[in-house]
Amino acid sequence: MPGPDEQPVIVGIGEFHAGKNPMSSIGLGSCIGLVIFDREKPIGALAHIMLPDSQGRAERPAKYADTAVIHLVKELNKLGCRTPSLAAKICGGASMFQAFSGNLNIGERNVEAVRVHLKKLSLSIVAEEVGGTVGRTIVYNPAENGKISVKTADGTRKII
Amino acid sequence: MLNSHQRDALRELGNIGAAHAATTLSTMLMSNIEMEVPEISVVDIAKIHEHVGDELSALVIFQITGEVSGGGYLLLHIPKNSVIRLTNAMLGMTDLERDLTEMDESALLEIGNIMVSAFLDATATLLSIIMLPSPPSMIIDMPHAAFQTILAMQEFSEIDQVVIFRTELRSDQHKISSNLFLLPNKPMLDEILSMLENLMK
Repeated sequence: MPGPDEQPVIVGIGEFHAGKNPMSSIGLGSCIGLVIFDREKPIGALAHIMLPDSQGRAERPAKYADTAVIHLVKELNKLGCRTPSLAAKICGGASMFQAFSGNLNIGERNVEAVRVHLKKLSLSIVAEEVGGTVGRTIVYNPAENGKISVKTADGTRKII
Repeated sequence: MLNSHQRDALRELGNIGAAHAATTLSTMLMSNIEMEVPEISVVDIAKIHEHVGDELSALVIFQITGEVSGGGYLLLHIPKNSVIRLTNAMLGMTDLERDLTEMDESALLEIGNIMVSAFLDATATLLSIIMLPSPPSMIIDMPHAAFQTILAMQEFSEIDQVVIFRTELRSDQHKISSNLFLLPNKPMLDEILSMLENLMK
């Protein structure tokens, strides 16, 4: 069992990590930090999702909502988790800018896509901290039953 | 993604832009500005967090428009404590233990506009084209959250590596540090590189 002082694995944009040790994504803006965890044992996974749709791309499965959900479940199955014991938490999907043209609602579309793909696998979202206009840094420690610490830039910390 | 010639050419271009931006900052603060040699990094999106973190900062962000294809962004990044010292220095105030206010935001927008216009003017003159900054957007939040949102916007979404240009501008007298970032997407980068190549012929 990892100690409380263990440095978390940093999961960068488009990356994922699965296992028993603490993991973290820094500065989520429009991206999503998707945690899927086992309700019966201290194992889980985190994906740092950047875009809603892979459009058929196979490389970097954790970069896209559609491929990330399936990929995390597969990784957790490999670690001995049964799909019916899994549940999800999502963070991020903020809208950081008002003024620019382009993919303005990318954060919202990411959240929506993650919801759709979780539902397809009948995974329920048991907690979320999404939307708004703030960046979030998250730390997930599987040893603490799926708890995620969510920190915003003003220093506020929240456990979901 | 970049050979050493291209890197040098980009560094020189950025150096000229940043030097002009530094001059305007120096005038506004009536203080010397120390400027670091620009860094040009080719960064995998998964490693952006090694270049920008989640400490509370102000970011003034401009889209680059004008006679150049593709898209790109210029960002003025100033950590919270430096923002307070900067506004204080400009307005003759001394309180360092305060929160950021609208006053800081308007000072930053003003400074950002002047510095970024100077940067773009100088680089565009060298390339003999016109480049203009969009109206600025400002956020006071985590720099990484801003960067990833910019990358997620359409023009960057197809790729996994980005070129980040960064120069640090400091006023040691006022203990202010700031960074200018340039984030060109691939079409803009390619066009700037070919213009630079023509210049050196």
